[in-house]
Amino acid sequence: MGKGRHGWSLGLAGLLSPVTIWLGLFFLVPLLFILAYSFGKSGVYGGITLGFYPGNYLKVFNPLYLDIIVRTLVIALTNTLLCLLLGYPLAYFIAFKGGRRKHILILLIMIPFWTSLLLRAYAWVVILGGNGIANRTLQFLHITDHPLDLIFTPQAVTMGMVYSYLPFMILPLYAALEKFDRRLKEAAQDLGASRWHTFWRVTFPLSMPGVIAGSILVFIPSAGEFVIPNLLGGARTVMVGNLIQQQFLEARDWAFGSALAVMLAVLLVGAIMFYVRKVGAEKLEGV
Amino acid sequence: MEERHIKERPEVGDAGRDVERSVAVELSGVTKRFGEFVAVDDLTLDIYEGEFFSLLGPSGCGKTTTLRMIAGFEEPTEGGISVDGDPVRGVPPYRRPVNTVFQSYAIFPHLNVFDNVAFGLRRAGVKGEELQRRVTDACEMVQLSGFEKRKPSMLSGGQQQRVALARALVNRPKVLLLDEPLGALDLKLRKEMQLYLKNLQHEVGITFIYVTHDQEEALTMSDRIAVINEGKVQQVADPPTLYELPKNRFVADFIGQTNVFSGTVESVREGHVTLRTSSGEKVEVTARGVEVEVGQEAHAAVRPEKIRFGSEGDNVSSTTIRQIVYLGVSTQYITELSGGERLVLYQQNSREEDNPEVGEEVPVAWDARNCLILGG
Ligand SMILES: Nc1ncnc2c1ncn2[C@@H]1O[C@H](COP(=O)(O)OP(=O)(O)OP(=O)(O)O)[C@@H](O)[C@H]1O
Ligand SMILES: [Mg+2]
Repeated sequence: MGKGRHGWSLGLAGLLSPVTIWLGLFFLVPLLFILAYSFGKSGVYGGITLGFYPGNYLKVFNPLYLDIIVRTLVIALTNTLLCLLLGYPLAYFIAFKGGRRKHILILLIMIPFWTSLLLRAYAWVVILGGNGIANRTLQFLHITDHPLDLIFTPQAVTMGMVYSYLPFMILPLYAALEKFDRRLKEAAQDLGASRWHTFWRVTFPLSMPGVIAGSILVFIPSAGEFVIPNLLGGARTVMVGNLIQQQFLEARDWAFGSALAVMLAVLLVGAIMFYVRKVGAEKLEGV
Repeated sequence: MEERHIKERPEVGDAGRDVERSVAVELSGVTKRFGEFVAVDDLTLDIYEGEFFSLLGPSGCGKTTTLRMIAGFEEPTEGGISVDGDPVRGVPPYRRPVNTVFQSYAIFPHLNVFDNVAFGLRRAGVKGEELQRRVTDACEMVQLSGFEKRKPSMLSGGQQQRVALARALVNRPKVLLLDEPLGALDLKLRKEMQLYLKNLQHEVGITFIYVTHDQEEALTMSDRIAVINEGKVQQVADPPTLYELPKNRFVADFIGQTNVFSGTVESVREGHVTLRTSSGEKVEVTARGVEVEVGQEAHAAVRPEKIRFGSEGDNVSSTTIRQIVYLGVSTQYITELSGGERLVLYQQNSREEDNPEVGEEVPVAWDARNCLILGG
């Protein structure tokens, strides 16, 4: 009996070992490095001395950096909400009205993934730039006589982010709505609920797993985003991701960069836990 | 005779309480097509207020489709429906004074039993103590007290069905549509719920339109029954009429069991018909208002319980016992006539000494007045 159990757990370890090794090597070890670095001390010309210097964390609370962290969270939250607002009707439409074209429509949503994010972000630079397509069209239509500041604005960042992250919202929403039992809609209407009420009392609550999954999938990477603000944001929309990148590549303050990264991770885990507990717990239970 | 049954008013089944009863649901010439397929074919029915009306028919005959048209989930391709005197074409389901107990229950999985039952009341603006009281009463009614806080995923199929029932009943609709509401229950609970539903319907006076494919259930519960086959109404009548005077072969076969003889009319005189089957068997039938002529093809039907062992009666035949099935209160004998036709008869299990055995040749007899000429 004991042998069997032992054998089973060995077998499981064997089965999981590629995954375990992979995660250990490329996820856990770097994470531990970051954690160790965040308590280290950066040399004047780069490099790092390990030790216990909590000062890196105190530096995070400098109003200048706090400002960037708050802005990052606001941008990520705005992006999540916009993706939800835009993505929900789309997912709803595809799931309920898509009919036989459902699968093609979902494929179309995923097509942008086939090119790299960097290329797509550059495309926005081309579109929104001073001499870009958007400005030339506006001038051609005589809506404006000089190029507008479309790029390097917070709006441009938001636009680029919504564009990039929308599919991450739509897919889980679609998955949740797709398996929704339409007969429940009929039952609600039979009991006197208008379409509006049916949506808010039945369809939406039952799509909550999709809303939660989509929100998390959009919120986390957009809080760590640095490519889009880099290309489309200019100086006014520096996000934590840019700050961390700066510390590693330009300022050569790896210790502070690591502390920032750890702080961001802690914040995100906290936010997600809070969110799931608030919104998720009662909605998800029993569904 | 055929026309007479269709026109019959419900006073037969309902002690003639009120001859001038108003119509709760009226279907006139309702046809529903899905593409080429005709699911409901020219259905005309008047269902009276406070009536327990059943739609009975085999699977796929259009029962659910009919209910869905009354509830407003489908519009008839042709014809019109009125509920409570008002035409309902174009009226959305949430504005119709009907509630449905769905064949698939359709319980809201994210709401507990209380909130499921309270759903319709909340939409109607009922709140506070009244809401609490009515929901609690409804749960009690379907024997689900104490389950109010449970999620549907923690209920058995039968319990879910009862939630569906409470959820519809609690709204006190003008008309309650029930689509095989007892399908998932075990026999004992089913019988209990049948009785309970019948009493409840009598108490609250709501019109019930009850869909079932169980003829026994329809017979025990209904004031009137519409037997449907392939989208067409075969007969509308109260249970005794349906059983004793089935209009055609389908109804005779579908309601209970019956023995049918097909043959040629040999003679017709003073309400008495003699039929000669192809195998030469002669069947005497009392004709009740049926117009048949000599030489015409016709069917005669006789219920198994109207046939007895013995040689005294208008019809006497010699049979060979082929199979004996013990049914508890009675025993079913499957016998063969000398011409090869099958004849089924039931005997009450009271006399034990002289029961025939398999293979034995015995005479059987039945009376002409218990025999019926069928159309179709
Ligand atoms: N939306 C639809 N599209 C096409 N055909 C349909 C549709 N709804 C029902 N039908 C067909 O109409 C016929 C009647 O269906 P209905 O559901 O009314 O049967 P039913 O009498 O309720 O049967 P059951 O006892 O099995 O529930 C069936 O043959 C069914 O396949
Ligand atoms: Mg059905």
